[in-house]
Amino acid sequence: MKHLITSILLISLTITGVSAQKYITKTGHILFFSSTPMEDIEAHNRQVNAALDAETGELVFRVLMKSFQFEKALMQEHFNENFVESNKFPNSSFKGKITNIKDVDFTKNGTYEVNIEGDLTIKDATKRINEKGTLEVNGDKVRGLSTFSVLVSDYNIKVPNTVANNIAKSIRVDVDINLEKSAK
Amino acid sequence: MNKKWILVLGSLTIVGIIAAILIYVFVYNKPHPDYIKAKTDFSISATELFVEFQSDTQAANEKYNGKVLAVKGSLSSVETTDMQTIAVFAIEEGLFGDEGIRMSMLTEYSDKVSQYTPGGEITIKGYCSGYNETDVIMEHCSIIE
Repeated sequence: MKHLITSILLISLTITGVSAQKYITKTGHILFFSSTPMEDIEAHNRQVNAALDAETGELVFRVLMKSFQFEKALMQEHFNENFVESNKFPNSSFKGKITNIKDVDFTKNGTYEVNIEGDLTIKDATKRINEKGTLEVNGDKVRGLSTFSVLVSDYNIKVPNTVANNIAKSIRVDVDINLEKSAK
Repeated sequence: MNKKWILVLGSLTIVGIIAAILIYVFVYNKPHPDYIKAKTDFSISATELFVEFQSDTQAANEKYNGKVLAVKGSLSSVETTDMQTIAVFAIEEGLFGDEGIRMSMLTEYSDKVSQYTPGGEITIKGYCSGYNETDVIMEHCSIIE
């Protein structure tokens, strides 16, 4: 009987160990979009680091601000020098978790609605965010999608008066990550 | 008298329009830097660059971020997605696989870099965005040799 219990415990631990699977990408895509009557501005970053722990739901993003590409060089300069001060604050990050990770069956292909909660840090400001997204499981690959808005004023981003009418107070953020099962 | 005023106003208007066009073309709509022709700020080996970022990230951020680097190393792999081609100098094995220098190639160099045999020496030039705790990231990259 004792052996049976030990065996069951060992098997459970092994299963837990196997399912504590991490999914990662280094080529995640983040787009942000500002829309005002004066102009629409968008910027893309396609070298975003992201990692998801399929067991705990822990989700981490690291984003280099200087990797955001704008259509207009002047806007890119304003963004780096004035808005996000990327020399002083080169990284942005998100650290949080998918709170309903148990609803996602990583062994079954399909699209799952998820709730994401955690701390978003831009410049020297960290805000708690709570957003919705989807995970599309396809074999060993998982695509994560989410769209949400951030208020420029929440992150100490100072927009100079000269371009105040060109920058929206609320910026739309689209996240698109193609995660792959980590070998480790 | 009237004719004189019309002439003055007309001239001012023309000067104003020309100034607006010049501002639009050269300031508001100025082109992105040409990173192929841009002056190289630092020439360095991939390993040295990675170690500098890893050992003292803040000092390396101040030194290299936003600068044009020519990085020499042994090409480990080339990753291609729908939108980009990334050349990789893998320096060490981290928690989530290889860590090193990741360089997003300019479109005109995407095919060329894919033809290089992994393991061969190559020098890649581009704009350094910084270090994200796993890799040094470079954008707008071209091949020097």
